[in-house]
Amino acid sequence: MNQEFLPTDHCLKCNICTASCPVASVTDRFLGPKAVGPQAHRFQHPHYELPDVSEEWCSSCGTCTLVCPHDVPVAEMIAKMKERPNREASWRDRIISRPEMLGRLATRFASIVNPLINSSRVRAALERYFGISSKAPLPTIARTSLNKSLRDYYVKSPNRLEEISRLTVGYFHGCSTNFFEPMLGELAVVILESLGLYVFLPPQVCCGLPLQSNGLFDAARKLANKNIKLLTPFLREKIPIVGTSPSCMLAFKHDYRAILGIDTEESNLLANSTYDFFEFILQFVPEEVNRISYRKVVAHALYHPPCQLRGHGIGTPALTILRRIPGLQLEVSDFACCGVAGTYGVKSERYQVAYAVGEQLFQKALAMNVDFIISDSETCRWWISKHTKLPAYHPLEIMARSMGIIT
Amino acid sequence: MTDILIIGAGLSGLFASILAAKRNADVTLVSAGHGGLSISHGCIDVWSKATSSLSLSRLKKNHPYRIAGKRALNIAMEAFEDIMHDASYPFSGSLSKQLFIPTAIGSLHCTAYAPISLAHSQMTKGTPIAIASIAGLRDCFPEMLVKNLRSNGYLVERSISLSLPGSEPYRDLYSTDLAYRFEDSAYRDQIAQLWKPRLSGIHCLGIPAILGLRQPNQVYQSIQVLLGIELFEIPTPPPSLPGLRLEQVLFSTAAHFGVNIILGSSAIGRIDRSRKLKRVSGITLQTPSNSRQLKAQKVILATGGFLHGGLIAHRDGSIQESVFNLPIDYPENRKALLAPSLFDKQPYEMHGVRVNSRMQPLDLKGEPVYENLFSAGGIIAGADRQSEGSRQGIDLATAQRAVEAALE
Repeated sequence: MNQEFLPTDHCLKCNICTASCPVASVTDRFLGPKAVGPQAHRFQHPHYELPDVSEEWCSSCGTCTLVCPHDVPVAEMIAKMKERPNREASWRDRIISRPEMLGRLATRFASIVNPLINSSRVRAALERYFGISSKAPLPTIARTSLNKSLRDYYVKSPNRLEEISRLTVGYFHGCSTNFFEPMLGELAVVILESLGLYVFLPPQVCCGLPLQSNGLFDAARKLANKNIKLLTPFLREKIPIVGTSPSCMLAFKHDYRAILGIDTEESNLLANSTYDFFEFILQFVPEEVNRISYRKVVAHALYHPPCQLRGHGIGTPALTILRRIPGLQLEVSDFACCGVAGTYGVKSERYQVAYAVGEQLFQKALAMNVDFIISDSETCRWWISKHTKLPAYHPLEIMARSMGIIT
Repeated sequence: MTDILIIGAGLSGLFASILAAKRNADVTLVSAGHGGLSISHGCIDVWSKATSSLSLSRLKKNHPYRIAGKRALNIAMEAFEDIMHDASYPFSGSLSKQLFIPTAIGSLHCTAYAPISLAHSQMTKGTPIAIASIAGLRDCFPEMLVKNLRSNGYLVERSISLSLPGSEPYRDLYSTDLAYRFEDSAYRDQIAQLWKPRLSGIHCLGIPAILGLRQPNQVYQSIQVLLGIELFEIPTPPPSLPGLRLEQVLFSTAAHFGVNIILGSSAIGRIDRSRKLKRVSGITLQTPSNSRQLKAQKVILATGGFLHGGLIAHRDGSIQESVFNLPIDYPENRKALLAPSLFDKQPYEMHGVRVNSRMQPLDLKGEPVYENLFSAGGIIAGADRQSEGSRQGIDLATAQRAVEAALE
């Protein structure tokens, strides 16, 4: 990505971004992406801070960049404005932005932590002393994390890979699948294997996106560079990386370069070699995918493509598979964002706005009387599920059900 | 591999994608961002010349209407009205009569079809009306609006300023902010309580277009019932809802019919560039992460003109088509592209790709450049859409023709 050009001068001030911004239309506290991004940028003095702090309200959903007809990286500009030193961040922001640390701690004590998370007293205390909204969903901690259940799948370096002629792919699970939804990772591996691929888990750390969203760029960059270092040996062997979490994959594909500013040969190699799960199977093993015989899944479901998936600029590859499943009556959400945007909606001071962003989506799901929600992103699933009281699945789970892998 | 790949998500691209998907084709729509539709007036101009009506035989032979034909225009308009009707966003109008819709500054916009909340202004001519401004709404100029409406024959008896419930906003409000609020029925009830006492003696009120984005007709009907008066909407400067509503309806209709929509990536050229094929096997797509190939049986180019990314005017005076580098005529002297005054007819409007009756872009010899490439909308040469007031009509008619030819 070319970082040199002056993106502010590309802005035509057409307001298409402001009109599409899910946050601006529900709160007048946010000036809107055009005003906070390119417009403020024009007046920014290199040595003085901007007097306006409304960028705090941006949820980083990326819709502004997506709809811009003139290549202005609006969301990226605003994301960079949020950069702050660690000491300026609250303890809450420093902690919730480290899911790997949290997950590692919590899985050890899953049997204690889970009832605590669900206790209304604990949630009230978290709200009061910590600023975590008691109305926002928190994940359930798995008893056995994926890195334990799939321990044998880890391969430390490419020369340890078995010499086989099959197409080889590295699965990046991310923190959420690792600690909260390990079954998803297991299903991903099973499906990839059933399509004839050789799958392994490369060494990996948290993608760093939660830190980046909370403005903690230095810490995010450390993780980014660590991942780049760990994955590069595999990428040099032309082994692609596939993931089931669109936000982690967007970090690899885009954010490391365009927001964290890591523009190296290795970061470009990572971006070029990273794929969303469905994007990957449709592109790399289309014939095997076409040969899948799907069993009936009789249900009425709403598919919501997450904002972070939209940021990939690949459309909705999961829909291509879901539409092939007999019996599945699909509705497609055209809402740009469900509101939660990672850790944004979890914060007490943002909860109301995040809820308002998603409210029409929740109402639509309830009005259509669907049986469940389908969405690729974990935080979207938890968020929509909490507010509609409907189950929410990753498209992979529906695919696995239709393939007879799970019931 | 997709059956039909459409490049561009403006009016012609979206409309073409729906037509093709309705005919059970596997359709992929690619667009770098949202198209010009977002900032358009949201009406369908077919031929907005007050002095003459549209007569195809009087147009030049290379005019897109003449090439697409009257039949294509008729079918397109019928299909368009059906789509809008099915989406509960009905339009009013016809090909035979002009509508004159008040603009944000009180001038009249001559058009063929308008959403009914805008078209309702037509019914009020000759009857006394009031015009409302909304306190806190950005770019709201009631004095100018009323003055110009009066000089355009509207009997504006009163101008009133209406306030909004709740506390003082932190910033000026956009029409999209208000649209979101009006979609909430509890908010509409609050509005009715607040506004009703101020509306006594008013039979019909013109208000800025703020009545909902996603369910506009439902909001429009319900607020009229709540207030007990007739309302018509007047578009605002961008972000202006009529264009956004039309875009929203077309995007969700396309998704509903199974169009695979890829937003945020650009079509940067064709696959097999080196080979001198008479076919396009697909396009190269630049995504935020890498470039990849997208294969297709047929491609419809709907990237628009200079203002929309379909045509690029270079400093040396040459004009380039942005995806396939199709041949474009251009004058030797770059200055010949522009008229002396901004408000004159602009010669650049006439430039674009030349097409045959199947909407296939032609080379200099008049042969199709690629047998499976078609085009629609603003990329096509031969019309001065601005001065003719023909932009949306050409978009729809050529899209209809392109889809028909592509699916033959």
